[in-house]
Amino acid sequence: MPDSIEQKHQVIMIGAGPTSLTAAIYTTREDIETLLFERGAIGGLAAVTDWIDNYPGFPDGISGLDLSAALHKQAERFGAVIELGEVSKISDEGEYRHLETTSGDMYAKAVLIATGSDYKKIGVPGEQDYYARGVHYCATCDGAFYRDKRLVVVGGGNSAVQEAMFLTKFASHIDILVRGPAFRASDILQHELEEKHNDKVTVHFNTSTDEIIGQDNKVVKVVGTDKTTGQKVEFPTDGVFVFVGLMPNTQFLKDSAIELDDVGLIKTNLGLETTMKGVFAAGDVRSGATMQIASAAGEGATAALRIREFLEGRTSPVMK
Amino acid sequence: MVKNITIFTTNTCAYCGMVKKWLGAKGYSYEEVNLDQNPDRQAEALKISGALTVPVTVVTRHDNSQEVIVGFNLSRLAPAVN
Repeated sequence: MPDSIEQKHQVIMIGAGPTSLTAAIYTTREDIETLLFERGAIGGLAAVTDWIDNYPGFPDGISGLDLSAALHKQAERFGAVIELGEVSKISDEGEYRHLETTSGDMYAKAVLIATGSDYKKIGVPGEQDYYARGVHYCATCDGAFYRDKRLVVVGGGNSAVQEAMFLTKFASHIDILVRGPAFRASDILQHELEEKHNDKVTVHFNTSTDEIIGQDNKVVKVVGTDKTTGQKVEFPTDGVFVFVGLMPNTQFLKDSAIELDDVGLIKTNLGLETTMKGVFAAGDVRSGATMQIASAAGEGATAALRIREFLEGRTSPVMK
Repeated sequence: MVKNITIFTTNTCAYCGMVKKWLGAKGYSYEEVNLDQNPDRQAEALKISGALTVPVTVVTRHDNSQEVIVGFNLSRLAPAVN
């Protein structure tokens, strides 16, 4: 058990994306002392998303960076403290949960895991070799290096289409490679892509991405397969941006008592409590989450209320 | 001992903000090179880091040795400035 008061907290939230920032607004407004740990960007994946049109309250949309900054400011206004660092292990020590972190051992009565997800890799030859030197997963970070260059975007979901549209600010031409016969992206994004970016973007459905090939330390082409004909197809390019789905950030829980589902998302009950007492999970990292920023914020609010009940020794009706 | 720190950034890069926030919280001053405002310096960032990405943080020590950190990587940034 900790001797130092600095190590003891009422609530520690792991991750500082929309889920935790919302939860922290709720807990700190009720004077529940709350510390957040963030190893990447405050705002999580929302912060690296170019533009968000479906978060309520912003009729004209808002940039991911601005939304994250506003949530951050609002959480800090009520006293949330964000520490830049990483949690590597959680264990249950009775009254407290013990967290091993880059800032040393920490203890919290309740923990919220809201570590979200990162973009998945495709897992093809060349992807790792050219990481950050032609293969990228963050358009808002790396797009500026491709002014007047050709690009390939891999993926057919909302992120792929949204980020491809952002990349048209820089690139001379973009080939979007979609493994399936149609986009999974929302109709409104597809419509916007076609209406506003048709001149710079060519979409290739039923096209797998098989290999990223470089020459003289630079990416020069992507080789894929046209699944309707079985023929190999080549796309000359200067860079590749990959948006093929999400991978939960739960590696640090692998040997813990917190149960994960088959794809590594955290299992919770209806009260968002995990299989470890006093540890809650919400947002993109939770099994059953809808992977939307609005629902992540909503789950953050729910988690905060459940945490308050837990701290007060009350059991929520859904937990009985 | 740190002599100076330069960060290559862009306007839309969330991780660039994190590097600036962390250095600011630790009391370090730095020079920021915004590549959206200075696209002519992209080649310099690429030459230094070998990577087509930002943030790139260059920590120069008093003996003129340099450490280059690509991305928001606290496990490399913290020892580089300490």
